[in-house]
Amino acid sequence: MFKEWLKDDSKIILFDGGMGTEIFKRGIKPGKLPDILNMEQSEIVTEIHKAYYEAGSDMCQTNTFGSSYMNLQKYKLEDRIKEINEKAIENLKKVCPPNHLIVGDIGPSGEYKPPIGKATYEQWYSSYLKQIKYLEPGIDLWHIETISDIEEMVAAIQAVKEVSKKPIISSMTYKKTKRGFFTIMGNSLKDCIEKVENENVEIIGGNCTLGSKEMIELIKEMKNITNKPISIKPNAGKPRLTQGGITHYDQSEQDFAKDILQIVKLGAKIVGGCCGTSPKTIKEIKKGLDALV
Amino acid sequence: MSQESFYKEISEAIVSLDREKAISFAKKAIEENMNLLDVVEKGFGAGIRRIGELWEEGEFFLPELMLGGNIVQESMEILLPFLKANKEDIMSGKVVIATIEGDIHSIGKTIVATMLSANGFEVYDLGADVSAEKIINTALEKNANIIGVSALLTTTMIGQKKLIEILQDKGIRDKFKVILGGAPVTQNWVNECQADGYADNAIEAVKLIKKLMD
Repeated sequence: MFKEWLKDDSKIILFDGGMGTEIFKRGIKPGKLPDILNMEQSEIVTEIHKAYYEAGSDMCQTNTFGSSYMNLQKYKLEDRIKEINEKAIENLKKVCPPNHLIVGDIGPSGEYKPPIGKATYEQWYSSYLKQIKYLEPGIDLWHIETISDIEEMVAAIQAVKEVSKKPIISSMTYKKTKRGFFTIMGNSLKDCIEKVENENVEIIGGNCTLGSKEMIELIKEMKNITNKPISIKPNAGKPRLTQGGITHYDQSEQDFAKDILQIVKLGAKIVGGCCGTSPKTIKEIKKGLDALV
Repeated sequence: MSQESFYKEISEAIVSLDREKAISFAKKAIEENMNLLDVVEKGFGAGIRRIGELWEEGEFFLPELMLGGNIVQESMEILLPFLKANKEDIMSGKVVIATIEGDIHSIGKTIVATMLSANGFEVYDLGADVSAEKIINTALEKNANIIGVSALLTTTMIGQKKLIEILQDKGIRDKFKVILGGAPVTQNWVNECQADGYADNAIEAVKLIKKLMD
């Protein structure tokens, strides 16, 4: 079905919004990995997925952003990698309506290569491979996201391709500098796009770090570099803690959705939200997309 | 070679991230009995400041910051034993830095620590997931000027506020300047915590601390 959506020029694919920030809203204990809720409080995870599908998401991603082997090691949870990833699929399957899709979410390892950290290509590859094999049976496509080192992205793509033939959205996270968009590791937008095009991914994306206004600029530059379908998931501005200790994002859903529609007009094929966006945001985008048709 | 051009060569070695050259210059300065304070300030210091500028201009990124910081740190370790003045007089100040309890994100904090150290601060980096009590005890023990607390998550940010409340309860809030770091930190949060400031990145953190130490 995903491939048909890609071929259909009139179809804009609506992705989901933030998962981590939605989990935090429900008061997870500091220091806990949100992915552990797949087992410990699966009803919360399922409720969030359900809310996204009901708000209009065509596809939602598994709660596995931090479930690569290397990231789980930091929480001493690496022995539970199978359970965490498999349970994530189960939670999402329960509420995925017919004709909607399940996306396998792959986040950063949290480890950097020298001189910042000690990670190597081989470590990244093997870390991702361990996660991917548990997600592969239950998902329709992949979202490798929020990666800031193109070498790590390539390692993740190659690990996916080792076990899967399903489509890949390859989404880096960029910051805006005086010289244009770069990752914090110094990879330029052009360099990132060329490298993932060489890996034959189906969709190229950008997510996190940037807000919706900056993503408008990002997609303009992306369109100049690539003809591949583009996926965009911006953050909803910066969070703040209210007096009661609740995290709040100041950008309104209407303002965010307005920018997303602009991003669609500029040529995005897949849109959604990252940190700070909620089912309310997706509902607002859906309203706007329906009005476009 | 004039002294000025020697300083310039040191600075250029730092900016071009040439570790071997930088270290050989540090050794040469010692052998030739140069004014090491000037060597540190006009050579190595100028180099690391230029790296900061290049970062702000979008020419340099995290790997260059880290590498440049490490090279200056290594060179300083060679030079320090030969500096005739007291260590206290040379160093810009003492900083105790950590990522708060419950938060394992340490990259940003480590880069800030490296850049501070390269800019002449005596830095005690306690790592990640550190309790407020431990940070405060270390700051007292080392007689620090600055406490830097990092938090990447909105769920752990609350620990930054708790640390300041403990300082207030103990009646020692005025002993330290407390600065906050981490992606979700804003000026509003600084105000609410009654902290002394925050910085968005390592270069800003160095500027902020220099300002607070004035």
